[in-house]
Amino acid sequence: QPLKYKYDSIYKWTWTYNRSPQVLQLISKKRSLSTAAAVLLRGAEKLSKSVAENMENRRQRDFNSELLRLRSQWKLRKVGDKILGDLSYRSAGSLFPHHGTFEVIKNTDIDLDKKVPEDYCPLNVQIPSDLEGSAYIKVSIQKQAPDIGDLGTISLFRRQPKSKAGAQPWHVKLEAAQNVLLCKEIFAQLSREAVQIKSQIPHIVVKNQIISQPFPGLQLSISLCHSSGEKKSQRAAPEKPKADDHLYVLEHNLHQMIREFHKQQLSSVLMPHPATAPFGHKRLRLAGPQAYTKAQISSVQQGQGLLEKIIKQAKHIFLRSRTARTIDSLASRIEDPQIQAHWSNINDVYESSVKVLITSQGYEQICKSIQLQLNIGVEQIRVVHRDGRVVTLSHQEQELQDFLLSQMSQHQVHAVQQLAKVMGWHVLSFSNHVGLGSIESVGNASAVTVASPNGDYAISVRNGPESGCKVLVQFPRNQSKELQKGDVVLDSKWSHLRGPYREVHWSKMEGRNFVYKMELLMAALTPAP
Amino acid sequence: MGRVPGALQQTVDLLHKKLEQLGALKQQGNFSVDCETYHATATASGQPSKLLYVMHNSETPLSCMALFEGGPCLVADANFDVLMIKLKSHFQNAKGHKVECRGWKYRYSDFSIKVGTVTMNSSARGISAEVEYCPCVVPGDCWNLMKEFMQSFLGSNVPELPSVFTVKPEGLFAPSDCIDTMTQYLELFNKLRKLQMPGSNIRV
Repeated sequence: QPLKYKYDSIYKWTWTYNRSPQVLQLISKKRSLSTAAAVLLRGAEKLSKSVAENMENRRQRDFNSELLRLRSQWKLRKVGDKILGDLSYRSAGSLFPHHGTFEVIKNTDIDLDKKVPEDYCPLNVQIPSDLEGSAYIKVSIQKQAPDIGDLGTISLFRRQPKSKAGAQPWHVKLEAAQNVLLCKEIFAQLSREAVQIKSQIPHIVVKNQIISQPFPGLQLSISLCHSSGEKKSQRAAPEKPKADDHLYVLEHNLHQMIREFHKQQLSSVLMPHPATAPFGHKRLRLAGPQAYTKAQISSVQQGQGLLEKIIKQAKHIFLRSRTARTIDSLASRIEDPQIQAHWSNINDVYESSVKVLITSQGYEQICKSIQLQLNIGVEQIRVVHRDGRVVTLSHQEQELQDFLLSQMSQHQVHAVQQLAKVMGWHVLSFSNHVGLGSIESVGNASAVTVASPNGDYAISVRNGPESGCKVLVQFPRNQSKELQKGDVVLDSKWSHLRGPYREVHWSKMEGRNFVYKMELLMAALTPAP
Repeated sequence: MGRVPGALQQTVDLLHKKLEQLGALKQQGNFSVDCETYHATATASGQPSKLLYVMHNSETPLSCMALFEGGPCLVADANFDVLMIKLKSHFQNAKGHKVECRGWKYRYSDFSIKVGTVTMNSSARGISAEVEYCPCVVPGDCWNLMKEFMQSFLGSNVPELPSVFTVKPEGLFAPSDCIDTMTQYLELFNKLRKLQMPGSNIRV
């Protein structure tokens, strides 16, 4: 405008003062140029406006497509001019009272002129402040009770899970919030049960920790660890590296059980539903027409809570790990006989089994009399012998250890018996539980007496879990020097009677283990053919 | 048990004593079987009206069994009793025909024994003994074993193989098929109903 005015004024001025045709030509040229420039300027303005409009459109389109993607995975609804979503597990059967609502907002705080950052997303979600950060349930078993001052102050943080490549930031955020919500629900359910259930030793609920005592001197602690993003850096620093006693299996099972609980809730009020049938479990509805017996009905109505189940599982896990430790420590402590444990791969949450073999090195084929199947349950261990005898042991560690020690001691005597058969010796007597001699503190001593093939010699072995082994050899009467040839017994047939016993210095015998020593002894006492 | 005549009570006590001497263990709780009789009111073309028996067994607490005389039978849930009230115009409850059987449960290894007194119109009529051999589902196969076992406490009063099983072609007795059991109870109740004198009757 000012330019045009300027030229206009020049034109007027020149028109008035010097009206030469040259000037006129110049003026007309300038005038046409100015109109052309104005057209160009207007065009440029339009163009830049349309580019900006395009940009705005694209952003809008991006937001819509993101919203569409969000809608395919999360529940959304429109309230007024807001878009609200639901991240709670209510539709899956959860009864947790948290509303679990999130808000979808358009991400506008970005400068259009600058370069758009890589991770820019036009859609953002606002989650409730109490669901921010990350959370998990920590389940651990400790030996001794912690200081009462430490209760309820547990705050352990795991590193943030790495976000999957390609996942939208809002999706990661929502999943994290949903996880926090589920953890909160599990903990709320557990603490409610902990207060309701009456047990001999009451469960303690302090802030974010539930403490229960499955076995005397042992405590199971379940805690909710919730960290909001900002505090993490401050608190993580003074954390000293501690042994991680977190039981991941139990944490996983807790999640699984709460989902089962959800499913059960959902199925109990599920429609369609016969009009005359009572609300309740679907299988229970069939109980009447299919004439379920009392036992069948009670199997359908399993009314066990989350806490009871998890305590049972914890007991089992503890019992299993302690059994493994007991067997391992025995195996490393005692070299002869050897003890082997074969753990089964497939276990129930409340039961697992291990096969324990007691053998002697080098004699595995002939000495396999002791094979034990240990069925580890929740409260006790059932031991099944190879011949079907069943022994029930309690959760006390000492019981299992004593039992295995007595079995190992019996094994040696069994081994001598088996060896005698192979070597052609005769078993004269055998007893698993000898009633004579010193009393053992653990189990009973066992004994065997075997005679050489021609009957000249006899070996007597007594083996106790505590007193160890004692080996005696009986010599023929005619070989013994102590016995004087009396004048009374003259007949030569009496010299075939066996004479006195003499103890073998067992520790001085050559051989790497008990059975090998015994084989050497037997070989030495067998006359050459 | 106050209304049970002395003679019956003595027999029941004797049976309990014999079972305990055998080594049978008394189970928790007692059992009961009851039976109500209904007349079909509207009979077309002058047919003799059939009887409908509605029975309950404490062993299947959520079920209700309905047996037509000599005809079909059905198992339903407990709501069936309410339905029968609605069907009043078709089936009339024969008052005073209610039969009940109550007693104790015993367990002797694989055998489950139920000894009960049968009362009709609140007067004791007889004694029932139910014997079940749990591991076997073919009555013909385990009948001799059951007979021998029953002889040990019933003496010479051992019955023959119940007709329910003899008429069945395959002769299977599934524990879930409570109808077989209820048919036998019904037969026993009908037999006792005809008897004037209280006595001991046996069923399997």
